Amino acid sequence: MTCIELQESLAENETVSSIAQRAHLKDCPQCAALVAELLLIACAAGELSSSHEPSPRVWNSIEIALRKEGVIRPQPAAHSFFPAFSTSRALRWLLPVAAALLITAGILVRQHLPSRQVANNQYVGSAESDAAIAGLNDDDLIQEIAEQSPALQAQYAENLRRVNQYILDAKSSVAADPNDEEAHRSLMDAYQQKAMLFELALDRSLP
Amino acid sequence: MGPGFSVRALLWYRHNADVRNWISGNHMTGRTIEFALIGATLATTLMAPTLAAETHKEYRFNVGPKSGISINNPYGSISVRPSTGNFVVINATLSSDKVEVDNNVTGNRVEVVSHLLPGADARSGSIDYEILVPADASVTLHSSAGALHAEKLHGDVTLEGAGATVDVRDLVSAHVRVKTLNGPVTLSNVQDGHVEVDSLSGNVTLREVTGPLVQVISTSGGISYVGDFGDRGEYRLTSHSGDIEALVPDSTSADVSARSVRGEVHDDIHLQPRQHVPYVIERGSAFWGTMGRAAASSTVVLRSFSGKIHLRKRSTK
Repeated sequence: MTCIELQESLAENETVSSIAQRAHLKDCPQCAALVAELLLIACAAGELSSSHEPSPRVWNSIEIALRKEGVIRPQPAAHSFFPAFSTSRALRWLLPVAAALLITAGILVRQHLPSRQVANNQYVGSAESDAAIAGLNDDDLIQEIAEQSPALQAQYAENLRRVNQYILDAKSSVAADPNDEEAHRSLMDAYQQKAMLFELALDRSLP
Repeated sequence: MGPGFSVRALLWYRHNADVRNWISGNHMTGRTIEFALIGATLATTLMAPTLAAETHKEYRFNVGPKSGISINNPYGSISVRPSTGNFVVINATLSSDKVEVDNNVTGNRVEVVSHLLPGADARSGSIDYEILVPADASVTLHSSAGALHAEKLHGDVTLEGAGATVDVRDLVSAHVRVKTLNGPVTLSNVQDGHVEVDSLSGNVTLREVTGPLVQVISTSGGISYVGDFGDRGEYRLTSHSGDIEALVPDSTSADVSARSVRGEVHDDIHLQPRQHVPYVIERGSAFWGTMGRAAASSTVVLRSFSGKIHLRKRSTK
């Protein structure tokens, strides 16, 4: 399977459950990194999906752009990508390319919102959705490590615990002072750290 | 000389009384010689397979300006230094025949991958690379557990590895990206750089690192900066639970903001307080001010959640 074929299969099937896909991901650091980043974006989507839901016009624009690029094809009942993440293990591993655009759009929307519109409890309240989304993906990560390199499982688990704590603390800071730009930045830093953890874990050089 | 030689010598010695007597007559005790022979036997036995399996290979590629070099080495070290022209020289030391060097040249890009063969492990699959590249090349190094080293380059330098030890030095106008899980990172004498370091739990040390952007993000690793924060750059050192220490000379000019949500913040340097601060400064947990000449200063942000932050003046001694 080539990189293009993998990306096409992501768009069509929304999973990385096939043997060919997983074999390609083990041998291709670029695609593995892409999947890892999309996975984290999907994690971050949990907190953005409710309070920073872009307008239908944004969704439509994204969908039109994706269709023009040939990334997605007409599908029935494709109103939202997010429910899929929490219901299918395979979908958790497969990070639709569209998710990147969705979250990017979400972040952009958030950045342009007046700070006072950010409710104090929105990030704290999203901890539950994180557990539902990121937590399950965490299990997948640890399982992957256990299969590839059992000796590193404890190390990755500890780092995962720490980075999750980082995210929770960063969320608390944002909740405490929604006007604090540094707090927002720390939250993105924390997600970036988690994305890196996934990227390193999925890397083909994993001992 | 293989191990068989020493074994035969040992047996020969043990069964030859004349030899033992000759040794005694030459002021060498039989016991000493016996130990020496046993040692030699063990040494050659242990080293022989390694010496027999370890091989060296050299590859040379001609490239153009602004070439790209990528090395992916699961086990083992990678060291990159500048070559004297538009060519790439790769010296590889393979630890066994369970690993081989795959290389691919596409246009102006050289890609090298350590190909692990069935049965390879961290020891038998290890390759140590010594590489010469044009100084303006873009270099990507990847090793999970080996040491990564780059010096005297001025292209893009990317180093990644979970447990890799990263050592970068003497770079000018380079874009440096480092990602590690728990490997320590040391950057020394990086001038006019665009530096981005991400480490989950490895300690990060920056010595005389300056540039338009110097950013370190860590979850639990400590961050140490030694230098003057350059001129009109942006320096962001962030750790969730690791300590952050900045050691600066008197001549430093910088707007410094430091804040630890649950940790302590200390500054041994007099800062001119800022008029407008976007958050409430609680003594002991944050400070914000200007040191040196504000007109020609860099922006420095030190931020931690539970780690300590310490801004100190560097001793002139």
